[in-house]
Amino acid sequence: MNLKVGDSIPQWVMPSVSAERMRTMAAILRDPNPLHWDRNAVDVLPLGLGKRTINQGPLGLSYMINMLHAWAGPNCLRRIVMRFPQVVLDGEQVIARGTIRALREEDSARLADCDIWLEHGDRGVLLEGTASVTLPGQKNPQS
Amino acid sequence: MNSKPIPAETDIMRLTGHRFPGGFYTVAHWENYLLTECTGAELLPNGMVHPVVLFHLPIIGANTSIAEMFALGQAESDLSIMIESYDWEILQPLREEIRYRISGGITSAERCKNAQDKLYDRIQFCFEVHTPGEMLAARTTITWHYTRHTL
Repeated sequence: MNLKVGDSIPQWVMPSVSAERMRTMAAILRDPNPLHWDRNAVDVLPLGLGKRTINQGPLGLSYMINMLHAWAGPNCLRRIVMRFPQVVLDGEQVIARGTIRALREEDSARLADCDIWLEHGDRGVLLEGTASVTLPGQKNPQS
Repeated sequence: MNSKPIPAETDIMRLTGHRFPGGFYTVAHWENYLLTECTGAELLPNGMVHPVVLFHLPIIGANTSIAEMFALGQAESDLSIMIESYDWEILQPLREEIRYRISGGITSAERCKNAQDKLYDRIQFCFEVHTPGEMLAARTTITWHYTRHTL
């Protein structure tokens, strides 16, 4: 990989965020929050979201992990820090994007520090954060 | 919408240092399969667990729960919690059928005001995941806002 600071990471698209997957996720997480499985609970909030369910934070974050895995391999992730300025709703198409902020070496591995975010066509950035990944073709001391 | 009284600031501050009992967690294949499917990805090779497991594995493995974490901060309701950030460090990839040891607790708890002058309590939880050989495999930090009389 011939990379430089400022390069874009190939985007990863979630064509439609699924309410059914939120329900499965709620069961796995033992997450009692009805925002993830009860559209009426979201509808009564003073947020104007209507009868939708709100995606779990970790699920939105996972779309960015999928982008990083597709780009740099399934064992690439060293650290991810994520903030959640907007909710992700069922039925939405969202796109994970990122750019390289810095390239460095650590423990004989080449790392990329990246700015990453999850974007919606109308509502803009929904999640944003940073990630450090081991670049492919480098020995990963974690393996 | 919510008439629950705001907890005393001292009750929130004294949460700092709270430790969960700790314990163990093993990710079964079926769990990794369903979890990965929820993310929209294919299963990772060689029994690697999708890193999204780093939300619930530490919580459940430390012998606590999302519900208990809400209750510790005296959340007004499940709906009143806002996420500030999640910070996940991975030192080794996690794998199916490995029994990880988890420890964790509350590293900070403080009362804050937002830009609209509304009170909220900012509580930070930190968990560590160790391999059977006692090597640190992952560290996670969850920072939540317990909003007060906002909804």
